[in-house]
Amino acid sequence: MTRHSLSLLLRNEPGALARIVVLFSSRGVDVESLSLGPAERGDLSRLDVVVDLQPGRTPAQLIKQLGRIVDVKSVVDRTHDEAIELGA
Amino acid sequence: MDTTGAGALIKALEDVGCEVIFGMPGGAILPAYDPLYESKIRHVLVRHEQGAGHAAQGYAQATGRVGVCMATSGPGATNLVTPLADAYMDSVPIVAITGQVSRSVIGTDAFQEADIRSITLPITKHSFQVHDPADIPRVIAEAFTLALTGRPGPVLVDLPKDVLATATTYTPPKPAAQSRPVLSPVQIRNAAQLIGSSRKPVFYVGGGVIRSGAAAELRKLAEKTRIPVVTTLMARGAFPDSHELHLGMPGMHGTVPAVAALQKADLLIALGTRFDDRVTGLLPHFAPHAAVVHADIDPAEISKNRKADVGIVGDCRDVLAALTAVVTRAPDLTGWWEYLDGLRTTYPLGYDWPADGMLAPQYVIERLSTLVGPEAIYTAGVGQHQMWAAQYVKYERPGSFINSGGAGTMGFAVPAAMGAQAGAPDRTVWAIDGDGCFQMTNQELATCAAEGIPIKVAIINNGNLGMVRQWQTLFYDGRYSNTRLGTHDRHPDFVRLAEALGCVGLRCETKSEVDGAVLEAMAVRDRPVVIDFVVGQDAQVWPMVAAGTGNDEVMAARGIRPLFDEEE
Repeated sequence: MTRHSLSLLLRNEPGALARIVVLFSSRGVDVESLSLGPAERGDLSRLDVVVDLQPGRTPAQLIKQLGRIVDVKSVVDRTHDEAIELGA
Repeated sequence: MDTTGAGALIKALEDVGCEVIFGMPGGAILPAYDPLYESKIRHVLVRHEQGAGHAAQGYAQATGRVGVCMATSGPGATNLVTPLADAYMDSVPIVAITGQVSRSVIGTDAFQEADIRSITLPITKHSFQVHDPADIPRVIAEAFTLALTGRPGPVLVDLPKDVLATATTYTPPKPAAQSRPVLSPVQIRNAAQLIGSSRKPVFYVGGGVIRSGAAAELRKLAEKTRIPVVTTLMARGAFPDSHELHLGMPGMHGTVPAVAALQKADLLIALGTRFDDRVTGLLPHFAPHAAVVHADIDPAEISKNRKADVGIVGDCRDVLAALTAVVTRAPDLTGWWEYLDGLRTTYPLGYDWPADGMLAPQYVIERLSTLVGPEAIYTAGVGQHQMWAAQYVKYERPGSFINSGGAGTMGFAVPAAMGAQAGAPDRTVWAIDGDGCFQMTNQELATCAAEGIPIKVAIINNGNLGMVRQWQTLFYDGRYSNTRLGTHDRHPDFVRLAEALGCVGLRCETKSEVDGAVLEAMAVRDRPVVIDFVVGQDAQVWPMVAAGTGNDEVMAARGIRPLFDEEE
């Protein structure tokens, strides 16, 4: 398992969060923590999520799969940023 | 224009060019059926919603346009789940329109309520539930655009009954912006470089080449470079079977030369394909010496199963055109072709006649292909007959073979043929079906008879769930647990069943009757025809790569491993 921290911007549309969570469960992604809040733009929400990936699965692959969800506007891998914040 | 949500729905469907809907009315969708009554859109009244979904898939694949199916809430909608999953796996552009209970009772377990959006989340590209009738034209236009653009797929539009019944004004939607990915010139150059320096390259062609309409571009590049071509199950017809550069289908039941081409290659040029396990076998043993150029419109497919050395995100037509422009140096493939031609000569597709003297199923399909020809459309269910249809029908043009590849949905053939025939009325459409598959969806023959959709069905009736039986023969000591259907004993009698459903029913049990039966079926134009080809139960699909083994262990026939043996 490898741990990754992702930050997503998604449209405030019904079902947007559900579609993301279902992607995690159907692709075997373990969710460690998840937090949803309003983004600066009123029609968008920000989702921060920490996930564990199974061996052989890459964060790049997951980011692309998230990216094809119509209501997802952007996905950023923050794993590295967090390491800096923690002084690692 | 003053109308209702339902009126706006039908007008919007007309405006996006929908010409046929496969569907069945019911309580929640009922308002939509009222304006449909006087619409120019044809409605095909199916006998089961699953048939509507597969018909929409058949229509989409025969025409290249979006297929539309419609059902009511609850069980009507849940009956569309299998076609939606199928369309998602095979990237088929369909739009499913479902009725929903009224907004005020959503979430109260109302009569015929099912949360179809949630149920279909993992198997739709996108879905909508409309809460304002004024949004309907925009949503329908978006749904059609989403279904067809990028990697095609199914889109669901869920419409609460009261939204359909509410008064609204129809505003024509703005045409949706359609963009194609811009190719990376660097990656194209890198790919061209790999092609130029390769010694054993192969075009590994998938269904994306058919979806993008890139068959002509593929042919151009293949002929320019003389690189061998293999076409997967979903790509049969993307490259002519009669072409000398074509080695056939790779994978679990692929030809020996096609499997060998991938295994021994030093470069795979993978186009619109996803390295599915039925093609790769055991992944660590797949094409061990090959560099990989992988072009796909879906970035999430590149390097998913096999790491690409050069990944190109783009429409296959653009990719092939760009490659053709920059590939100047055709590699020297003399040694490569000598090897592959040797395999072609030594291991052609072939079959034995059953020891019990019964009809060989492969012979039936071979004759069907010869007599009917490449201008027809062929559909198949799932199992042995599907593999024989992929192997023994000679495909010359894209869109001529429609089957359930990724999902493997038994019962696909008859409703898909119905949809294909509705979309391509001037073509002959043959459903090649198994007796197991046929018993899942043959009710749609009543639809075909009533609606004047004259499909032809060739039942490869071996009395068993043949592919499962084959595995029981090979891997379960011949313990035939629950695979015998008894259809050789006329339970049911398919000829009488066909006639009861309003079709012509024919039966054929011997080699000498095959041509006559096919020709007789071809002469019928005013209603569907079913031929019950009673074939031997012990025929097997070969070649075969057993599940869980590497492709080097491909068996041309039981116990004969041409690639494995040559290395030992």
